[in-house]
Amino acid sequence: MATLGQLDSANLNGGQKLAVKYFTVAIVLFGAQVLFGLLSGLQYLYPDFLYGVLDFSVNRMVHINALVVWLLYGFLGSVYWLLEEESQHEVVGLKLGNLIYWVLTSAVTVVVLVYLFVQIGPGKESTIWLINEGREYIEAPRWADIGIVVSVLVVFYNVAATFSQGRYTGIAGVLVLDMLALFGIYLAGMFYTTNISIDQYWWWWVIHLWVEATWEVMVACIMAYGLMKVLGVSRKIVETWLYIEVALMFGSGILGLGHHYFWIGTPEYWFSIGGFFSALEPIPLVAMVVHAVFDAGARHAKNSNHPAMAWLIAHAFGNFFGAGVWGFMHTLPQINLYTHGTQWSASHGHLAFFGAYATIIIAMFYLGVQRWRSGVWMSGDLPGNGWKWKWALGLLNLGMVGMTVSMLVSGYVQSQIERAIEGSTWMGYFAAQIHPWFAQGMWWREVFGVMFLIGFVLLVWDLLTIGKGESRAMQPAVSEN
Amino acid sequence: MIEPASLGNFFTIFFTSAMVIMLGALYALLFAFSRLKGDARLMPLAYLSYAGLLISTLFLADAANLLKHPFWTVIVAFMLVGYLLAPHAIWHLCVGTHADEHAEVQPVPLKDF
Repeated sequence: MATLGQLDSANLNGGQKLAVKYFTVAIVLFGAQVLFGLLSGLQYLYPDFLYGVLDFSVNRMVHINALVVWLLYGFLGSVYWLLEEESQHEVVGLKLGNLIYWVLTSAVTVVVLVYLFVQIGPGKESTIWLINEGREYIEAPRWADIGIVVSVLVVFYNVAATFSQGRYTGIAGVLVLDMLALFGIYLAGMFYTTNISIDQYWWWWVIHLWVEATWEVMVACIMAYGLMKVLGVSRKIVETWLYIEVALMFGSGILGLGHHYFWIGTPEYWFSIGGFFSALEPIPLVAMVVHAVFDAGARHAKNSNHPAMAWLIAHAFGNFFGAGVWGFMHTLPQINLYTHGTQWSASHGHLAFFGAYATIIIAMFYLGVQRWRSGVWMSGDLPGNGWKWKWALGLLNLGMVGMTVSMLVSGYVQSQIERAIEGSTWMGYFAAQIHPWFAQGMWWREVFGVMFLIGFVLLVWDLLTIGKGESRAMQPAVSEN
Repeated sequence: MIEPASLGNFFTIFFTSAMVIMLGALYALLFAFSRLKGDARLMPLAYLSYAGLLISTLFLADAANLLKHPFWTVIVAFMLVGYLLAPHAIWHLCVGTHADEHAEVQPVPLKDF
């Protein structure tokens, strides 16, 4: 018999036990992302720092790859978390799922060690296979690429087989198709061509379509599940809205890919396609505001997990500002010509990734901890008034907003001096880098990065301790229809 | 096909682009509140926000040289129509998807959330 307030795996079903493993690695990699982000930020300020030992190129690569992989782990963990409850059936092929988890985690460990200790190869075919593929954001060597594809394929099998033998819900249908796309689209980033335009063309399929199609759909599924669990919203409503939101997202998001094709040597018609769909991309976000107000007013909601609910709200705002406002500010080609690849892009990327993805995975962490501690009370009136989760929430969000604004200032200088005035020359690049506003932006980014790190430490501390020794059982949300 | 923005228009573009999204959200927010609470006084404020969005879009279009080309002018028109109609369409969807629930539950003010 599980005890309230104690971490006990007996509280979890098979899929959830596996999910906890994925969540654990996700948090470790989240920490690595923050650490290597701070190191590379420091190298903007002191270029000699760790030069020849851990160069900026290595730190930045680990920073971004850790982001991609921790989010992937978070999503796969979330999928396993909801799988048995949603299908009302044990996970089919759970042993295989566990095996693949260990294989994937071992592979990730080896890849990171190679990044840190081998760093570069002789530039031959063997380098692509064994050390570093050289494609920004997805630098993993070819053997690891194959490992990722096989792993996602196994998760697809687990998901599809479980739902087909159990209850096949609306969330199930969307999730199964999405897992198939998650596997398929990654293949586009795995072949090498000597033509950089063609190479970049397919590379963006992974970067944009993975992120703005398959990940967004996964987020929609997790949000649907989360709203049923935390607020007790009826299944009929969340599933109807899941279809609507997926349709809106696909309507503008897939061909919004065009805004990445402006400057890579693709035909001019991508200006039209990218410009048109990029202009329409924020409309679903505006529509979401109407739905949120309607839902909020239509029910007396009592949520069963305050930290998770707060992170779901942070997700809505972060997605709106990071993807919507920060994206649209520089998406039209007439201005993107000057901002593409500057700190503007980094500013947008930071807030959008954090707002759209990190926040919802953190919400899932809190849902996970609550169940792991036998469905413990996590509503209001927590010990210490829940200061740890509140401070973690505040520091992480303020840290991220601070970093975003700092990079915005630097990017603004860069787009003007490096791009518009100096015409993207090397001289222009250096003129922008030494400009006081650029340098100050980089300093502030580091300061807010430290604030983010403190928030991260508090988050981990809170996840390890929240609900410990609590004797009250959770107040269930309104039961689903 | 495109005429790059001039240096002097950078800030106008960044600022008006942000305002398009912010005012779009404010319009949607006030529109939904007005319908939800049955408060007709909020609706003019909603359309005032939309008017702000319209002005921002026109400034953006001018600064980014969009109005000099028919294709980009059409995109501007699409944006304006899209932002105007999206809250209406989503409201109808909300009412439709919550129809069963509304037979039993009356909408309540947001402060009770």
